[in-house]
Amino acid sequence: MKTIGRILIILAVFSVFAGLMVVAVNASGSNTPAADGAPSQLRPGGDGARPEGDGNRPERGERDGAGGSRWMFGLIKNVGVMAVLVTIIAWPKSIAKKKKKKQAVVSSVNGNS
Amino acid sequence: MANESQKTTAVQTKTKLWLDIIVFVAFLITMDPHTSGIAIHEWLSLAMIAAMTVHLLLSWDWIMEISGRFLGKLGTQNRINYILNWLLFIDGTLIMISGIMISEVALPLMGIKLPMGFAWRRLHDMSANIGLLLLGLHTALHWGWIVTAINKYLVQPIVKLFSAKQKKDAAI
Repeated sequence: MKTIGRILIILAVFSVFAGLMVVAVNASGSNTPAADGAPSQLRPGGDGARPEGDGNRPERGERDGAGGSRWMFGLIKNVGVMAVLVTIIAWPKSIAKKKKKKQAVVSSVNGNS
Repeated sequence: MANESQKTTAVQTKTKLWLDIIVFVAFLITMDPHTSGIAIHEWLSLAMIAAMTVHLLLSWDWIMEISGRFLGKLGTQNRINYILNWLLFIDGTLIMISGIMISEVALPLMGIKLPMGFAWRRLHDMSANIGLLLLGLHTALHWGWIVTAINKYLVQPIVKLFSAKQKKDAAI
């Protein structure tokens, strides 16, 4: 019961934010089919309707036969961005922690002697 | 009693670790829809809503504790963590909602058709890029926990398993 209540709270907060976002985008008036300048008639299905997708349409990466290398590049880029952030934040923190530990050991040894 | 609560915490930590590993892999797959295909991208993203809900449920006590103490006395790291987690939640919501709005496979399959909105597409791309940065920061701030949990629940059991096998072989 407690878990269900918590799930409902999470979903309620999610719905509130989602509703605010939908209202904000619709109110800004930027969510039109021709918002990026191109007339909608020039698009496939230019009446503003989304293309009928079956999930099997060829993707850009696959069309030129470079799907594998593209995937590798994307993976390295994404993991790389996260690795850089982890290195920048976690590494100095771990060095500071080790330094603090060392100082504590030294001061306790000095205190004993 | 204390043993029981320790056991519960250990089970929770283990569950959280495996869930986070799965979500991380799923995130990397969904970040490249051109390779995975739009269908996998959409269904995996929708499944991640459930995974993220469980992730939040497992961190519920921390969320409630910090929410109560946020305006009072609170350490800097906890405060930064809390704000970052809210930003991640809001960004995640934006990724999901914009993704649902531009859905080409999942929603049409459910019989729901929404008009194509180019603002949503731009928002989806932008929020996904911000999400990558926020997830990197989230990972960095929890790096100590990640290393400890992986060592305790992944590396050590494997090492123990091998050492036990070696002892068994030596006895024979």
